[in-house]
Amino acid sequence: MFRSYALAPLRCVALALLAVFGFAASLPLMMAIGAVVTYPHVLQVVRRLAGLSRWLARAWGGIVIDPPYREGPVPLPPRRPDGWYEHDGQLFKTRHYPAFFLRMQWLSGDPATARDWMWLLLLGPIGGLVALLAPGLVVAGVLLAAGVTGPGRRALDDAGLTELVAWPFLAVPGWAVLAAGVAAVVTGVLAGPALLRAHGRWARYWLGHPGLTWWQSSGIGAWLRRGGHDTWKAALLLGLSLTGFAMFLLTLLLTLVSGGFGIAWVSYAIRPMLNHYRRLCVTWGGGEPMPDPYRQREGVPEPGPDGRYRVGRTLYATRDGARRAGFFPWILGDPATWRDLAWMATAPLVALLAVVPGVLIGAGYFGLFWQALFWPLWAVPFGLITGVWISPWYVWQLTTLGMPALDVLPGWVSIPIGLALGLLGVLLAGPVLRLIAGWARLLLAPSRSARLTQRVEHLAQTRAEAVDAQSAELRRIERDLHDGAQARLVAVGLSLGTVEQLMDRDPAAARVLLAQARETSAAALAELRDLVRGIHPPVLAERGLADAVRALALDAALPVEVRAELTGQPPAPVATAAYFAVAEALTNATRHAQASRVGVDIRHTGGLLRVTVTDDGRGGAAPSHGGGLHGLRRRLATFDGTLALHSPQGGPTVLTLEIPCALSSPRTSTS
Amino acid sequence: MRVVLAEDLYLLREGLVRLLEAHDFSVVAAVETGPDLLDALLAHRPDVAVVDVRLPPTNTDEGLQAALTARRQVPGLPVLVLSQHVEQLYARELLADGTGGIGYLLKDRVFNADQFVDAVHRVAGGGTAMDPEVIAKLMQQPVRNVPLARLTPREREVLELMAEGRSNAAIGQRLFLSESAVGKHTASIFGKLDLAPSDDDNRRVLAVLAYLNGAA
Repeated sequence: MFRSYALAPLRCVALALLAVFGFAASLPLMMAIGAVVTYPHVLQVVRRLAGLSRWLARAWGGIVIDPPYREGPVPLPPRRPDGWYEHDGQLFKTRHYPAFFLRMQWLSGDPATARDWMWLLLLGPIGGLVALLAPGLVVAGVLLAAGVTGPGRRALDDAGLTELVAWPFLAVPGWAVLAAGVAAVVTGVLAGPALLRAHGRWARYWLGHPGLTWWQSSGIGAWLRRGGHDTWKAALLLGLSLTGFAMFLLTLLLTLVSGGFGIAWVSYAIRPMLNHYRRLCVTWGGGEPMPDPYRQREGVPEPGPDGRYRVGRTLYATRDGARRAGFFPWILGDPATWRDLAWMATAPLVALLAVVPGVLIGAGYFGLFWQALFWPLWAVPFGLITGVWISPWYVWQLTTLGMPALDVLPGWVSIPIGLALGLLGVLLAGPVLRLIAGWARLLLAPSRSARLTQRVEHLAQTRAEAVDAQSAELRRIERDLHDGAQARLVAVGLSLGTVEQLMDRDPAAARVLLAQARETSAAALAELRDLVRGIHPPVLAERGLADAVRALALDAALPVEVRAELTGQPPAPVATAAYFAVAEALTNATRHAQASRVGVDIRHTGGLLRVTVTDDGRGGAAPSHGGGLHGLRRRLATFDGTLALHSPQGGPTVLTLEIPCALSSPRTSTS
Repeated sequence: MRVVLAEDLYLLREGLVRLLEAHDFSVVAAVETGPDLLDALLAHRPDVAVVDVRLPPTNTDEGLQAALTARRQVPGLPVLVLSQHVEQLYARELLADGTGGIGYLLKDRVFNADQFVDAVHRVAGGGTAMDPEVIAKLMQQPVRNVPLARLTPREREVLELMAEGRSNAAIGQRLFLSESAVGKHTASIFGKLDLAPSDDDNRRVLAVLAYLNGAA
């Protein structure tokens, strides 16, 4: 009891030192995060600090804080059948790199990570100040008391610290000062444990499991967070824009040196970055997706009668030469190349606006917290030595140096100024981000003619695939009929002919043959039934999509719940494609995913038929090239339909297909 | 015994008429569209109807819908549905009212005239005749229903044959059991499925219904 009160001020000092250390470390740590390789180690350091703080809160404040970090093993990259490891569309020979990226994503995807960082940034300004209250009171009390007692006074004189307590405006009797000093010491000691608890609670707010506080439920926290994120995003877009501008300058330089070729090389090389930029703009700035606007490269032309290849007005002797020469007209003839260049030249002007919210928020934070916290570290020694006491508030001094007229305002106005600057920055972040994204959309989104060109390319490709698939399907049907039902019917005919001959001579043998003929015809029927089911399931023709899927669900080997909200029937080919997609998904769920239940949801909204198949299996499904899903995707592409597979390791697997179509009135003939 | 027949293919319709009349049925109406079928069923009130699922004019499940509509107006009207393919979905809809007198067979089954005529008689008598293919599909699925899970393998076999619509004697013959032994098994099945003692035929239908519902 007595011990805890006596130790509390010392413990508070330790906490304050930890706060100062954490705060000072936050800057190098944030810089180290930029170097990607050190990222996990930096997070490890931050987690250690947080762990130390949790331990102290429990040991000194009695506040138990459960670590809120994501549980479970860090995901490992899947090993493909060919022995490579895949991550984000890239193949790796060893597990090392993809495992690193996955670990990084896993760590940074943990919401507790962001909260750790907030804790670290606020540790100095808030946690440190709370902790300093108790020792501060004790020290102040001791100093006050020392100032009015003989030996204390002499000690202060020897140390040259008389100034610190010889406050001329304290025109009160010595005993009152002594009493005030003693009272301060007592208060500091008595308040010690309570302050330790308060510090622990504050740490629990950031380092424990997040609960919903008024801060979050009122939306202020979300608003601030969104503003902060928008600031980061705008800054990243600025960085990419500056890269684009640098590439533009390089293009200019290369154009001077090498003529038009430089433009082709540089603008081709920068396309992946610009595509990334397009995706970022859509994700962050909203709006329609921005597909890449570039033309597809044309194949090498067939050689002419003289065996040479013609590209433009030049003839090439080799195929390779023609292919290389085709590169320049392809790039330079694409209007998207010139629009890219226009964006690269102008983007930094717009993107520079991104600096504004960042600077405002930084200045606000600096004024509200940083300055106040670090003031004791430099202004106290400065004041003690020179006798000039600089206000802890803001860069107010600097401002008044420049404009002496402002000197009449008190120093604390920097608080509202800092607050206003910070809020203004948060307020501006969103619009600035949207402005940058909007400018990019103006130049980087495909133009009308580019969209039409792409559409024609897409249609030509899907049509070719559809025709291929159709003829393959017809070949399969022909083969099945030829080898199956047709052959069996020939056999039946033969049997019947023989029966005709045997009827009078050997009725017993004729009866055996008749029975055989019946069995053969039954087998032929069964084969035809299977064939028809594979082409166009009869239940689909009789009942439409929803009931056909229900029939499918009843035949499945695991419980399938079907929810369908359709006011009419989709066109027959669309319904057939959707039906086979569900059939494939159910087969996969049964065979590969080890699911125990499956849900199928069918609805039509906004001119889009959307079918979702969800299973609770182990996930990790990937559409292999040439697999069932790949075939379905090609089939759907004929109707401009899409198929999305979301299947994280450990499940659940969600297969979503969307096909634009209109519904016809219910129950019309589809056969 | 008076029969209404609905089948849109001329050859098959004539073949069925010949087959049925050769077995002492009198075909009072042989129609080829859904609306005609409904009219004929309500006008003639036959002892049994033999109906193709897919009929003009829409070539969807008009036959099935007409049969279901007629059974709503004439409860228990015996209907034997024929189709080129069998679906559990349809079997369930046909059995849903639990009144029996339902058959659901592949068209192939008419090849075996004796078995087919036997099935028509069973349906006319208020029993059931489920195609073995429907039952086979059911058997492939794991049992997810608690009362069904209580059945012994032998009882499941008996229930399977009962679902096809076979009598105790026929089941006994198939499983090499005495008829009384089959009777004990069926009583045990009814008990485990909580089917109160009532008309035996009706209980058989309800057991089949429980079987159909339990497997999904």
